[in-house]
Amino acid sequence: MLQCHAKSCPQGQSYPLAIRNAELEQLDAEFNADFVTRLMPKLDWAVLRKTAFELGVAELPAEIPTEPTQADLQLIHKVALETRIKEADMVCNGCGHVYPIKDGVPNMLLQDHEI
Amino acid sequence: MPEYLVIFAQFHMDFRLPELESLAVLEGVELVYDRASYTDDHPFLIVNLKSDEDAQRLIRRSILIKEVVRLYADEKTFEDLLDVVRDTKEIHGPYQNSSFRFDVRAFGHTLSQEEQVERIELFCFLPCGAVKIKNPDVVFTYIEDYGTVFTRGHYRPEKPFRVLFGVLVAKGDRGLIHTYDLKKRKYLGTTSMDAELSLVMANQALARPGSFILDPFVGTGSFLITCAHYGAFTMGSDIDGRQIRGKGDRNIESNAVQYKLTNRVLDTLVADLAHHPWRQQPFWDAIVCDPPYGVRAGAKKLGRGQKSKVPPGPLEPKKPNGEQRYPQTVPYEMHDVIVDLIDFAGVHLVPGGRLVYWLPTITDEYTPEDIPTHPKFRLIANSAQIFGTWCRRLITMEKLHDEPSDKEAAQGAEALSASPAHAKFRSTYFKEAQGKLEQLKLSE
Repeated sequence: MLQCHAKSCPQGQSYPLAIRNAELEQLDAEFNADFVTRLMPKLDWAVLRKTAFELGVAELPAEIPTEPTQADLQLIHKVALETRIKEADMVCNGCGHVYPIKDGVPNMLLQDHEI
Repeated sequence: MPEYLVIFAQFHMDFRLPELESLAVLEGVELVYDRASYTDDHPFLIVNLKSDEDAQRLIRRSILIKEVVRLYADEKTFEDLLDVVRDTKEIHGPYQNSSFRFDVRAFGHTLSQEEQVERIELFCFLPCGAVKIKNPDVVFTYIEDYGTVFTRGHYRPEKPFRVLFGVLVAKGDRGLIHTYDLKKRKYLGTTSMDAELSLVMANQALARPGSFILDPFVGTGSFLITCAHYGAFTMGSDIDGRQIRGKGDRNIESNAVQYKLTNRVLDTLVADLAHHPWRQQPFWDAIVCDPPYGVRAGAKKLGRGQKSKVPPGPLEPKKPNGEQRYPQTVPYEMHDVIVDLIDFAGVHLVPGGRLVYWLPTITDEYTPEDIPTHPKFRLIANSAQIFGTWCRRLITMEKLHDEPSDKEAAQGAEALSASPAHAKFRSTYFKEAQGKLEQLKLSE
């Protein structure tokens, strides 16, 4: 959902941000199939899949399941709602800008000269 | 359609009809009423609804409606009312073996226990089963309206000018205000919004299971909590990361834990609305926020020291806070906040999505033209909470669609930044905020 917004960032390469040096945290969120089903259409599946794979969280199916099974939903629940990136760097592939994630809160502020 | 009596809380009057209408949209309930019959002075409104079930759905999450009563009599005097009730056969049949309770209400007056019993006893012709105070099968409601006009003076009217009788069919959800009472909340800030209005805002935003809601001025996350309560997935951003992270184990996340909403209060991030990182796509079903106009912060400063020349509060936490790589900030003028907010909503809301935000105005100088317009938006509601010389207005706007239509062009809706009404609004605001317009180097 987030993209690099530095002025100097080349067009078209500002999304997705790559995640580096991640320190993950597993949370316990109550599973609710309904929530996950509603969440799915809002997900950028390809990016989520790639990120989840790179972080070693889970291997999601290549295509977004049209009729998700309980197992699919559990898996998405785990990736989207139970995995938190505690500390990491989000790196723009276009310009290399680094956005730090600290205590689970991404800092998307640019330096004042970048806006 | 049968007649029902909506009994509002006599509080936040300007918000009551907008909430009622939002709930009708939310629940898909057909609601008909005469706008002219409504007044802020009374907590009553007669509406037409299809059924008791619709009434229950309509107010099941209402914060400003206490009850809905199926109305059987609406008369000038008690005697007339008794006659009408006596002749209303439909309430004589069904309750013959039902346990019942009688609620006697008076608006603008207090009836003593004896007076209440006196009234109830005159309804003894109603065929009913046994009295049961808790969870009876049926609750008869009798209301005397003495009006606020009288209570304001010393004159105490002998008789109500209107009496009503009906059967209770639905209750609102005002108890929720206590559930989310700020006094019980673990993490708070100076700008946390009280539970009642936060919940009303969630209703205005049509927060419901599956909707995605963003608060781009999240602060301590009041709206994330109330919107998530209704099933929405919520995210927030704020330029001040300190508010998000809080102190120790008290932060937005701990509030979500406190209310068991962690699987819906998704994430918060540090970002500036003026230079935001969100992808350019319609994503959010609602944007709900209390933008930082510096009114409350400014007002506080005025109250504390003698120096009132503090500029309207900047959006940012003012100074670099010592953290490394923290960028410099400049004051974010209110005009720009609103322009940015509405433009942002124009891009990032889905069509039909709602923007719900607070706008401060001066009570005396306010005109309806002060409300920002945007060709992509339709104004849904504008409710004032008055604090003497100034007030804040809860503005609800609906995004129509992504393409401007001919109809909008014909209406001549201007882009916000070009709106003359807005320029006026801005200067009005600044006058109020610090009393010295000249000090501000207004562009234009």
